[in-house]
Amino acid sequence: MQKAAPKGRLLFYIYIMKKVILAAICIVLKITTASAQADSLVVDENNKFVYYQVVDQPASSTDSLQTRAIHFAKKAFAASKLKFKDSDKGTIRATGGVLVAKKSSVAMHEDARIDYTMTIEVKDNKYRYWFTDFVIVPYARDRYANFVPVSGKNVALENGMSGLSKRDFDGYTAKLMANVKDIGNRLKTYMKTPVAPVKKEVKKTAIPATNW
Amino acid sequence: MKKILLLSLIALGTLTVKANSFGSTRALTMAADTGDTPLTISGSVDAYYKYDFAKSSQIGTSFATDHNSFSIGMVDIALKKTTGKTSFVGEVSFGPRGQSQSLPDQATGTVLDPSGAPIGTAASSFHIQNLYVNYAATDELTFTMGYMGTFIGYEVISPAANFNYSTSYMFTNGPFQNAGFKATYAFSPKVSLMAGVFNDGWNYYKSGGRIDNFGAQLFVSPVEGWNAYLNVLTGNSAGTEFDLTTSYQITEAFKLGLNAADFTLPKHMGTGGFSGVALYPQVAVSSAVTLGLRGEYFKSKASDIAGNAGYSAIAPGTSVSALTATANIKSGNLTIIPEFRLDGGSAKSWEYVGGLPTAKKASQALLAVVYSF
Repeated sequence: MQKAAPKGRLLFYIYIMKKVILAAICIVLKITTASAQADSLVVDENNKFVYYQVVDQPASSTDSLQTRAIHFAKKAFAASKLKFKDSDKGTIRATGGVLVAKKSSVAMHEDARIDYTMTIEVKDNKYRYWFTDFVIVPYARDRYANFVPVSGKNVALENGMSGLSKRDFDGYTAKLMANVKDIGNRLKTYMKTPVAPVKKEVKKTAIPATNW
Repeated sequence: MKKILLLSLIALGTLTVKANSFGSTRALTMAADTGDTPLTISGSVDAYYKYDFAKSSQIGTSFATDHNSFSIGMVDIALKKTTGKTSFVGEVSFGPRGQSQSLPDQATGTVLDPSGAPIGTAASSFHIQNLYVNYAATDELTFTMGYMGTFIGYEVISPAANFNYSTSYMFTNGPFQNAGFKATYAFSPKVSLMAGVFNDGWNYYKSGGRIDNFGAQLFVSPVEGWNAYLNVLTGNSAGTEFDLTTSYQITEAFKLGLNAADFTLPKHMGTGGFSGVALYPQVAVSSAVTLGLRGEYFKSKASDIAGNAGYSAIAPGTSVSALTATANIKSGNLTIIPEFRLDGGSAKSWEYVGGLPTAKKASQALLAVVYSF
């Protein structure tokens, strides 16, 4: 009789462990899946590509997040990558672009630039940001052996497949995604860092020893 | 049991960290990106077949010179790198198009046979199409010094940057390169001004002793898709050329280009020069195929210089109208270019017999292939 009690307990433990492990797997998959869905381009209600993220930041007021976001948009990157455009209460807007190259290019010189707009919205304890308005600006070689934008040939990213092979389009979007994620990661860092107040320079007036 | 639970929690934590590893906080850095670019290599190779209906090459414009021959153009390789505010471009080319047909010969001398007897004159090329350095003093102001492709004209030497494979008379008789120092100021993305000083001679790696060419370019882009360049290059040694180059992508499929130029010899050389105008309408009939025309009127100015042969066999005081129909068929990096051209002169300019021209028309067809990388 004593042998039956430990066996029953063991079976109970195994049953519980199965439930725990199964629950753990489900939680991990949900996190992974949720991360994968949020970490790619999606199509919004206007059929435009958008990359969208929401970030919780407890104990952060709207004003402090607004100040940090403006500081980020003005200072974090060279203007070609991200340039502050304007802001109003709770919203910060910026524009930028990333150079991309075709996979078939021998030495990865720029073949195009993908321009985008970035919008950051802040509220107490959280903020969100998104990239949209993606436009492919093709580049071509000029007489000085530079690759420069071709005027009047811009194509919305949503129509990018019309002039590119799938391989090149996938290459463009991969570079674009790496770029926007890099900007997003830098934003998170800036949003966690208070902006140092600008020291006002005190004008010093010398009291002359003579000639007064 | 406790150990199993503990191991499960550790495993869960590890997997969770991995799932969230993307987007983890990076090391704090407030340094903006520097804009540095890696060393890039670009260029092209081209070849062609041409047939002149007079059964020998007649039309005296640049490149595509060989009749009834599969011939080569050039291998063109350009290096470029940007580091902070500075950048350089070094471009070399090899082949008929990239040497004797577009670059000055540099080293000359007498070639001797094994016995020491002179048998000819040597020439060699530095092979350099572009060699210059940029310094971006500010976001608006850039300084450039070196040997550069000319800023004058619509057409260029690289087949990758031209729509037509044969060239216009204005291109052939204008400058190809200018060595000098220039400053460019961008007032906005739509307006910029360039001014510079250049060696006395066009298309030479070094000056003939003077820096007496002044050049300037005004760039305007009135609307998206429309670029216009007003150019002037003037000097006591080389003469004065005014040039207008503009193109407008009017619709997604239709583009119209225009080039107009007027060149006058320096006074000490006498009277003479040329003027011309060309239109370049192009229609993209698909994402891979574009059809285009070039209609050019070119006049060789009257001249008081004895024995002046004019420009590209167009005698002083006469003119030529040239109509070129070209297609660009693209497949990846390859462009296939079939072309037909008909030139008609106000005077007999072609098919020389006994040293005199006998024909007022010339025509040719060609097929070229250009691979850009």
